[in-house]
Amino acid sequence: MLMCRDLARIASDYIDGELGPMDTVSVKMHLMMCGHCRTFIGNLRASVDLINAHSSQQLDEELVRRIDERVTESLNARNSGNGNSD
Amino acid sequence: MDTATHQSDEDILIHGLKSGNQSAFHKAVRLYTPGMLAVARFYLDHSAAEETVQDCWVTVIDAIQKFEGRSGLKTWLHRIVANRAKNHLRKAKREVSADFSETLDPELADRFAPNGRWATPPSLKTNESAQALLENGALSDCLDKHLASLPETQRSALLLYEAHQHKSDDVCNILDVSASNLRVLVHRARQKIFLMVETFQETGEC
Ligand SMILES: [Zn+2]
Repeated sequence: MLMCRDLARIASDYIDGELGPMDTVSVKMHLMMCGHCRTFIGNLRASVDLINAHSSQQLDEELVRRIDERVTESLNARNSGNGNSD
Repeated sequence: MDTATHQSDEDILIHGLKSGNQSAFHKAVRLYTPGMLAVARFYLDHSAAEETVQDCWVTVIDAIQKFEGRSGLKTWLHRIVANRAKNHLRKAKREVSADFSETLDPELADRFAPNGRWATPPSLKTNESAQALLENGALSDCLDKHLASLPETQRSALLLYEAHQHKSDDVCNILDVSASNLRVLVHRARQKIFLMVETFQETGEC
């Protein structure tokens, strides 16, 4: 019998559809009987949505500037003589 | 520029990179550096990771000529970073240390009774959408803080899998982890965010 703790271990696999058919059935049976685990799965799923919606990819502007500088330097060294045509 | 009938934004960008166009590089650097950093930080500390990503961009100037588009540009860039980072690691005779043995976050594990049932069950379900939740600036800041404090390996796995929408196979390849170990890293990271959201909703504090 699948216990709440077992379900918590495989919750991400369930959410992502990575569980085998037998385990999926066990999880679904457990969820029918257990409100706490329904809440857990729901809230874990909400956390995943939150991570996806949150573009925390804040750009480090200073790093981008340094990279731009080095790239420009190399491009110029390489193309010295040629204009930049597109 | 040739007269292809239909070119995607990525094709146009690749064309620009191949012809050494400065603004194409500028655009690509802004677009792809965050993901490349996530890859590098899986293997290296912050300063070595930044250095590796910088070096990669310089090598891309020549390497892009050989890019054939079998994988997307993003995957290709991430593989270049991963290879360089792995070389760096090998030279320094170090290894990535990550714990794949326990699937449950310790804090969450403590919330179960010995019989495997919830002792401290999850708090009530939120019905707000992710977008609505994020309009709360304090929650958004809190999420940033918690993402930043995840172990590097967990954060990289989570960002590549979630935010950068890579397929599992690609992430395993780039991070050199097995499919099951990737699942552990992603699940551990998600639990941390779950716990953070719960605390935030209960107390309003981060
Ligand atoms: Zn349960």
